[in-house]
Amino acid sequence: MSDLPVQALQTALAAEHAAVWGYGLASAFLPPQSDDKLTEGSAAHRARRDATERMLRDAGVAPVPAAPGYLTPEPVTDVASAVAMVTTLETDAAVAWRSVVERSPADPAIRSAALDALTGAAVRATRWRAAVRNDRLTVPFPGLP
Amino acid sequence: MTATPRSRRRVLRAGLTAGGLLVTAPAVLTGCSVLTPGAPDAPDPLESPARRAEADVTLARAVADGHPDLAPAATAYAADRQAHAAALRAELRRLNPEMAPSSSAAPAPAVRPAFADSSDAGNALAAATSRAQSEAGALVAVLPGYRAALLASIAACCASHAVVLA
Repeated sequence: MSDLPVQALQTALAAEHAAVWGYGLASAFLPPQSDDKLTEGSAAHRARRDATERMLRDAGVAPVPAAPGYLTPEPVTDVASAVAMVTTLETDAAVAWRSVVERSPADPAIRSAALDALTGAAVRATRWRAAVRNDRLTVPFPGLP
Repeated sequence: MTATPRSRRRVLRAGLTAGGLLVTAPAVLTGCSVLTPGAPDAPDPLESPARRAEADVTLARAVADGHPDLAPAATAYAADRQAHAAALRAELRRLNPEMAPSSSAAPAPAVRPAFADSSDAGNALAAATSRAQSEAGALVAVLPGYRAALLASIAACCASHAVVLA
C-alpha cells in the first residue's frame, strides 16, 4: 500500500504505546471494580499497537518505539487522577485514529481498522467517565481535537 | 445559473436527448446514475445519515419527555444527534449549494413516537443508536477523507451512547 498514511499511523502507534504504559500505571491506583475496564482497555491497546506495528513493517517502515518514560498532564496519585489519565489517553487515541481515517485513501482495510480503534477509544472513554460521574458521558465528535 | 453537478447533468441530458441519442434508452441513463459512484443524479451519500440524525433527535426527545428514568440518556443522545445533523447538513450544503436550508430547523412534527413503557422506549433508543452506528460506519470505508472522518466520529459517538443505554 503505497498510499499508507505513514505519519498518521506513527502518531497513532505512539498514542497506543502511551496508552499501554498509562493503563499499567493506572492499575496501581484503581480499585478491583475497575479491573474489567483495565483488562479490556489494556488488551485492546496492546492488540492495536501490535497490529499497527505489523501494518507499518509490511509497508517497509520502521514503527516508532515506545518512549522510555512518559509525563502525565497531572500527577497520578489516586483513583480520580488515574481515571482522568486513562480518559485522556483514550481521547488522545481517538484523535490519532480519526486522523488516520481522514488521511488514508478509501481503502476498506485501513479505514475499518482506524474506525474500530476510534470507536473502541470513544466507548472506553465513555465507560471511564461513567465510573466517576453521571453526566457529560459522551462527546458528539470523538476524535475531533 | 450556478454551475452545479446536477445542472451539468441536466444540460448533458438535454443535449443528448436533443441529439436523438437517448430517445429510446432512458433506462441507460438511469442505470448509469445508480452504478456510478458519486453520479451527479444520485442522492448525496450524506443525505441518509443526516435524515437519520434528525429522526433520532425527534425520537430521543419524545423518549426524554415521556420517560423520566430515561431522560438523562435520551436528552444527551438528542443533543449529540442534533450536532451530527447540523454538521452533516453543513457538509451537504457545502457541496450542494442549491440545497434548501437545513431541515433540522423545521418545527417538531405534530405526531411523535409513543411507547408502551420505559422498556419499549429504551429498546427503541438503543436500536436507533445501533442503526446510526452501522450506517455511518459503512460509509467510512468509501467516502473521501474529510467526510469519512466526520462519519467515523458519528459512528463512535453512537457506539458510546449504546454503552450508556445498555
